[in-house]
Amino acid sequence: MRSLFNLPKEVIFCSKCVLSNQRPASIPEFLHKPSREGARYLEMKKIPGKKNYICDACQVSEMKEKINWNKREKELEKLLNKHRSKNGNYDCVVPGSGGKDSVYASHLLKYKYGMNPLTVTWPPILYTSYGYENFKNWIEIGGFDNITFKQNGRVMKLLTKLSIQNLLHPFQTFILGQKNIGPRLATKYNIPLIFYGEAEAEYGNPVHELTATRDKSYWQQKNLKKLFLAGIPIKRLIEDYKLSIGDLKPYLPLEKSEMKNKVEVHYLGYYKKWIPQESYYYSVEHSNFKARPFRTQGTYSKYSSIDDKIDDLHYYTTFIKFGIGRATYDAAQEIRNKHLTRGEAIKLVSRYDGEYPDKYLDDVLNYLGLKKDKFNKLCDKFRSPHLWQKTSNGWKLRHTIY
Amino acid sequence: MNDVAILNFNMGNLFSIKCALNYVGLKAVVTDDFEVIKNSKSLIIPGVGAFPEAMKRLKEKKLDSAIYDCNEKGKIIVGICLGMQLLFSESNEIKKTKGLNLIEGEVEKFSEKKSSNTKASFNVGWNKIRTKKFKKNSSYVSDLDKKDMYFIHSYYVKPRIQEIKTSTSFFYKKEFISSVKKDHIQGFQFHPEKSGECGIQIYKKLKINLEYKK
Amino acid sequence: MNIRIIPKLDIKNHNLVKGINLEGLRVLGNPRQFAEKYYNEGADELIYHDVVASLYQRNNLSSLIKNTSENIFLPMLVGGGIRNTDQVETILNSGADRIFLNTAALDNPPIIDNIVKKYGSSTLVISLEVVKSNEKYICRKDFGREETNKELIDWAKEVELRGAGEIIVTSIDSDGTGLGFDLNIAEKLSNNIKIPFVINGGISSIKQIDQLLNVSNPSGIAIGSAFHYGNIDRDFVKQNSLDGNIEFLNKKQKYRNFGKLKIQAIKKHLNKKFKSN
Repeated sequence: MRSLFNLPKEVIFCSKCVLSNQRPASIPEFLHKPSREGARYLEMKKIPGKKNYICDACQVSEMKEKINWNKREKELEKLLNKHRSKNGNYDCVVPGSGGKDSVYASHLLKYKYGMNPLTVTWPPILYTSYGYENFKNWIEIGGFDNITFKQNGRVMKLLTKLSIQNLLHPFQTFILGQKNIGPRLATKYNIPLIFYGEAEAEYGNPVHELTATRDKSYWQQKNLKKLFLAGIPIKRLIEDYKLSIGDLKPYLPLEKSEMKNKVEVHYLGYYKKWIPQESYYYSVEHSNFKARPFRTQGTYSKYSSIDDKIDDLHYYTTFIKFGIGRATYDAAQEIRNKHLTRGEAIKLVSRYDGEYPDKYLDDVLNYLGLKKDKFNKLCDKFRSPHLWQKTSNGWKLRHTIY
Repeated sequence: MNDVAILNFNMGNLFSIKCALNYVGLKAVVTDDFEVIKNSKSLIIPGVGAFPEAMKRLKEKKLDSAIYDCNEKGKIIVGICLGMQLLFSESNEIKKTKGLNLIEGEVEKFSEKKSSNTKASFNVGWNKIRTKKFKKNSSYVSDLDKKDMYFIHSYYVKPRIQEIKTSTSFFYKKEFISSVKKDHIQGFQFHPEKSGECGIQIYKKLKINLEYKK
Repeated sequence: MNIRIIPKLDIKNHNLVKGINLEGLRVLGNPRQFAEKYYNEGADELIYHDVVASLYQRNNLSSLIKNTSENIFLPMLVGGGIRNTDQVETILNSGADRIFLNTAALDNPPIIDNIVKKYGSSTLVISLEVVKSNEKYICRKDFGREETNKELIDWAKEVELRGAGEIIVTSIDSDGTGLGFDLNIAEKLSNNIKIPFVINGGISSIKQIDQLLNVSNPSGIAIGSAFHYGNIDRDFVKQNSLDGNIEFLNKKQKYRNFGKLKIQAIKKHLNKKFKSN
C-alpha cells in the first residue's frame, strides 16, 4: 500500500505508550519540503523475545529514571554561576509566552537561582483571551522584563496560509519564529544563555540528541539560499510573492556571520526533572496561571498550549497526516511520567483523538482567507492511503490503538 | 441466633447500620426473611425515602407481620428515621397512609416558612438532642443530653401520649420530637450510625440491653 | 441551624488527588487515611468524588465507601460519573447515604425525577460546577471539561423543581486557589433558591467563611485543599508505591499557605458567632 511523505508503510504501536511509528521526528523546519524527503519517524525497537516494540521516547524515559538529579542540579549551578550577571544586565533569555512551562523556567531561574532573565515572546498567531491573560500575568504577577516581537502581520498570514496549503502545517511560522527569537535577541543583546523548557528528545527524537544543549543547526545555517519556508524554496518564495529577504528573516535561522557572540541554548529539562503537570501547579501559584475554561478539543486536558487558536488546528493536521492526534501526544507523555496507565491512555485516545477543532476553526480560516470546504478537501489530499480508508461513514483510520 | 435483624425492604442505609452493629460487637444480618427475623433477638427498622412507598413494600413482603410478631414477643424493636415514623398510626406524606400503629400518633411535615432565612422544610445536618426533661422514660439516649446527632428528614412524629418522648430537637425555631420509647420499642428520628461516636453509644446501649435480656 | 463543615475528597483510582480549577491530578495520599483524620477532627460529613469517572465512564468508589463505613460513622455523599440507577444502587449499598449527579442530570434532566421517585429526594444531591463567563455563571459538565449553555440559577431552579433535596455548587474559578468562594454566586443562591445548598471551592480561612456568611446562608461548606495539604503523610508515601502524579509528595514542600485551617477552629468560631441560636 502506498504511503505519503516517506511514512513507514507498516504501522507499529509502542507497547508502553500510545505513539505509533508514524510520529515525525523533529526536523529543522526550514528544510521541510512537501515530500518530506529525508524525514525520519519515531523509531521502534523490538523487545527481545517478544512481538512488542518500544519507542524511542519510552526508551529515553527509561533512561531518565536512572538520572542522578542532584548531579544535574550541580551542573546547572555551575553553568549559572559562570554566567550570573553582577551588574544587573540580563544573563539569560527565556523564550516563552506565559504558558506553564515558560512561567516555571523563568521563575525558577530568577527567583530560585538568582539569574536575571529577559523573557522574549514570539506571540501566538491568534491569541485566545485566557492565553493573553496568562501572558499578562506572567509579566505583571510573575514579575519579568519582556520583549515581545510583534511580527509583520501580512507576511505571517501569507506564510501560514502557504504552509497549510503546501504542507498542511499551520504551525510552521510559530515553530520557526519561536525557535529563532531566542538566539536572535540573545545575540543582539549579548546575552550568553538561552533556556528552553523541555528537550525535543522526550518527544521522540533520536536518543543521541538527549543533551543539555540544542544542536546549532536548528538556528544557524551557512547558506540561507538553500532553505525552504512553507515548503517553498526561499528564492521562489521571494520571486513569486514579492517578498524581501528582510520579510523572511524572522523565520530564518541566523547566519554564521551574524553570530558574533557566543550564545548557548540549554534545556532546563536536562537539569531539572520536568513534570508538565507540576509546572501547571507552579505557574498557578506564582503567576496566577489559568487553565482553559473548557476541555481542549482533541485531548482531555486544559492547561497545555492554550494561547493560540491555531494550536487545535495544528494537532488536527498531525492527526490527518500521521494518524496521531493531541490526545495521543498528551497521553503518551503522561504514561511516561507514570500519571496514566496505558489502559487509561487508550480510553482517552479513543474518546478524543482527532476531534474536529470547530471551536476556533472559523476564526482561523477567516483570518487566513480560506474556505472551509476547500480546507476539508485539502486535508483529504494529505491522508496517506496506508493510514486512511474512505467508508460510507467518512474517513476511518486503518490502524488504531483501541 | 443473630443479635439483630436489620429489616430489608430496600430502603435505607443497611450496610452502615450493619457496620455500626458489628463495630460494637453485635451479630447482625440484613434480611427480609420471616424465619431469620424470628430467629433474631432484636429488630431494626431502617428507612430512607417516602412513607407510602415504605408501607407498600412492607406489606408486599409481609414484613409488617414480622414486625407485629416481634412486638408480640416483646423483642427489642428499633426504628431509625423513616423506620421510626412507620411505627406510628398515620402519615400525610404524599397521601394519607396508615402506618404500623404500634405507637399512636401522626407523622407531619415541617411547614415551609415564608422568611428568607429558612430552607424549605428539609432538615439536613447536626442538631442537639435534649434528653434531660425525659429522664423518667429511661432510654438509649438518656445520658446523651445536648449531644449532636445527624438528621435528614422533612417529616416528624407527633405521638398522642407524651410520656413516650425521650428527646427533642430544634429545626430552626420549631421544637420536635427526636426520639421515643414505648416499652421495648425505641425510635430515633436521627441516624445513630451516622452520628459519630455519640451515635455509636446508642448501639452500645442496645448491646447492653440485649445482654440483660438473656 | 448548624452549618456543616464537609471535607471533600477527590479520588482517582485509590488516591486522594487535588487540582486547581478542576484541572490537575496531583496525588496527596490515601483517602481512607484522610477520612479518618477528618472524622476524628469532628467533620460533619464526607464527600467522595471520583473525578475521572466521567472521563473513563465508570465509578470506582465502592470499596473505598465500604471500607469507610466500617468505622467512620459519618454521613457520606458520593458522586462522579453516575449515570444510571444501577450505579446508584451499588453506591448506596456500599454504605453511602446520598449520591450526587452533575453530567447525567444536565444530559437528561428527567433522571432527577426518576431517582427522587425511587430513592427519595433526601438521597439525591445535584452538583453544579460553574465558571464565570461574561458576567454570567455557566454550568460545566464532565468535571469542568464540557461546556453547556445552562446558567447557574436557571438550572438550580429546575433542579429544585424536579425534587432534588440539596445542591452543591462548585465555583470552578475558585477551586484549589484558596482565595475564597465567589461571593456573587453565594448571594445569588441565597436570594433565589429554597432548597439547602452547599458551597465548594476556594475556602481556606475563617475570615473567608465570615465573608461568605455575610451574604448567604449555605447549609454546608465543602473544603478540599485547605484541609488536605495539612494532612499529608509523607511517610505513608515512602512505604507504599503510589501511581499517578506523586512528584509533589516526593518533595518536601508546601503548597501556598494551605494546611493551617482546622475543622475544630471553624466550628468553635461558628458556635460563638451563632450562640444566640
